[in-house]
Amino acid sequence: MLWKNTYNEFVKILAKPRSYIGLAALTLLILIILFAMKADGRMYISFVTASFEQTLSFNGNILNGNLIAFIVLQMLIVHIPLLVALVTGDLLSGEAAMGTLRMLLTKPISRSQVVYSKLIAAAVYTLILVVWMGFLALIVGRWVFGTGDLIVLNSDGLVILNYADILWRYGLAFLVAYLALMTIATLSIAFSAFADNSIGPIVSTMAVIILFTIIGSLDVSVFDYIKPWLFTTHMASWRSFFNDPVPWKAIWESVWILLAHNVVFVSLAIFQFKRKDITS
Amino acid sequence: MKFFFLFTVLFSAWLNYAQDPNELVQSVRLKLEKVKDYTSDVHIKALVPMIKIDEVDAKVLYKQPNQMKVESKGIAILPKQGLGELNQFLSNEKAYTCALNGSKMIGDVKTAVVSVLPLTENSDVILVKLWIDPVKDLILKSQITSKTNGTLDVNYYYGSQAKYGLPYKMVFTIDVKKFKLPKSVAADLHQHKKKPKTNEGSQTGTIILQFTNYKVNQGISDAVFKSN
Repeated sequence: MLWKNTYNEFVKILAKPRSYIGLAALTLLILIILFAMKADGRMYISFVTASFEQTLSFNGNILNGNLIAFIVLQMLIVHIPLLVALVTGDLLSGEAAMGTLRMLLTKPISRSQVVYSKLIAAAVYTLILVVWMGFLALIVGRWVFGTGDLIVLNSDGLVILNYADILWRYGLAFLVAYLALMTIATLSIAFSAFADNSIGPIVSTMAVIILFTIIGSLDVSVFDYIKPWLFTTHMASWRSFFNDPVPWKAIWESVWILLAHNVVFVSLAIFQFKRKDITS
Repeated sequence: MKFFFLFTVLFSAWLNYAQDPNELVQSVRLKLEKVKDYTSDVHIKALVPMIKIDEVDAKVLYKQPNQMKVESKGIAILPKQGLGELNQFLSNEKAYTCALNGSKMIGDVKTAVVSVLPLTENSDVILVKLWIDPVKDLILKSQITSKTNGTLDVNYYYGSQAKYGLPYKMVFTIDVKKFKLPKSVAADLHQHKKKPKTNEGSQTGTIILQFTNYKVNQGISDAVFKSN
C-alpha cells in the first residue's frame, strides 16, 4: 500500500504545473550560464587567477566542462532549495487546502505511511532535479567546452585537480548536494504538516534558509557555537570533495548533521500529522 | 726574459678580452642564435605557495625571433618570464649594456657574473644578472628583475644540447605575492575552523622544468603558434 500510495503521490507531483517550473528554471539558468561562459568565460578565469598572473602563466584548457559544472553547482545550489520547497512544501498542506486530505486518509494506510509516501515522492522529485542539473552542467558542459583539469578557488589558494581525478568527486558531490536538498524537502514537509495552505510552508522554508544563511555568514563570535549545527552551514559541503586532500572527517560530520536534520524534520512531520485534526 | 714578458702581456690581454662582459654576453647570444626553432617535451613540477597542482607533461615549441608556445593536455603553470624572454632580451645587443661583477663558483665552475642593464627607459626589465661559464659560453644562472614580475631566479643545467645553449633542466625561483580572497568569493565551507596565519608579504615558489626529446632546427610552421 505504501508503494502504491507513493506512486500516486508522484503522479500528483507530475500533474502539478509548478513541478515543471523547477526543471524549466534550472534548464534556463544553466543554459544562460553556459552561454555567458562561452561568450566571456576568459574574464571569469582571469578573476580567479588574477592574483598570480603577474608572476605565473596558466597554460592549457582552463575553461573546460569540469570547471563549468563546478561554477553551475556553486551558483545554483543557493537557488535550488526554492525550487525544491516550491513542490515539497505543498505536499501535505496542499491536500488540506484542497480538501482532499480526509479522502486520502480513508485509504487503508496509516498517517505515518502517508507522510512516508509523500517523502519518498519528494525524494524522487528532488533526485530528478539533481540528476537533471548534473546532466546539464557536467555532460552538456563537457560537450560544449571539452574536458580538462579543474581549477578550484579556495580561501587558501588554488587547487588544480587532474581531469582523471574528477568524476568520482562530482559523483560524491552530487550525492551530498542531494542530501542537502533533501534536508530542505523534509523541512518543508514538516512545515507543511502544520499548515493548511500552500504558500505558508514554502515561505517559511525560505525564511529559515535565509535566516540561517545570514547567521552563518555573520562573522560574530556569539554565533560560533551555533554555526556548526545549522544545516545551511553544511549545504555547501559538496565543495569539500574538490579540496586536496579531501577532508573526509569534515564531510562525514556534515553528512551526519544533515542526516540528523532529515530525521528530526521527518519525525516532526509525522508527529504533527498524526495528531492533526483533519477538518477539511 | 723577453719571451716571458711577451707571454705575460699576451696572456693578460687575452684574460681581459675573455672577461669583457659584452664579449661574454655576445658569445652566449651567438650560441643561442644558432637555434632557429625547437620542440621539446617538458615535465613541469610546480611547488608554489597557495597553489596545489600535480606534475604535468607538456610540449614546448619555439621559433625565432620570439614565438613560443606550451601545449598541455592539462593545466600547466609556468613562470611568466624566463622561458624565452631572456633570449629575446639578449638578442637586441643595442638595447642593453653589460658590466662585470666579478666571479662566483657554481658547483665546480668558475662563472663570470655579468650585470646587464637595459638602455631604454620604458623597458619592463630593470636588471638582468647572468652567471656565465666563460669556457662553454653557457648561462648557468640568471636573475631577472622587472617592474611587473618582481625578481625571478633561474638555474640552468646542461646536457647533450649544450652546444645550442639549451638546458635539460631549469629551476625557477619566483616571488609569489600573497593573495587572499574573501570568504564569500571562495565559499569555503570549513573556513570557520580557523587555520594558523601564514607569513604576510612575498613568498617564494619553485618551478622545475625538465626537458627531453629536443628537436632543434627541424622547422616549425608559423601557423602552429597561431592556433589555440
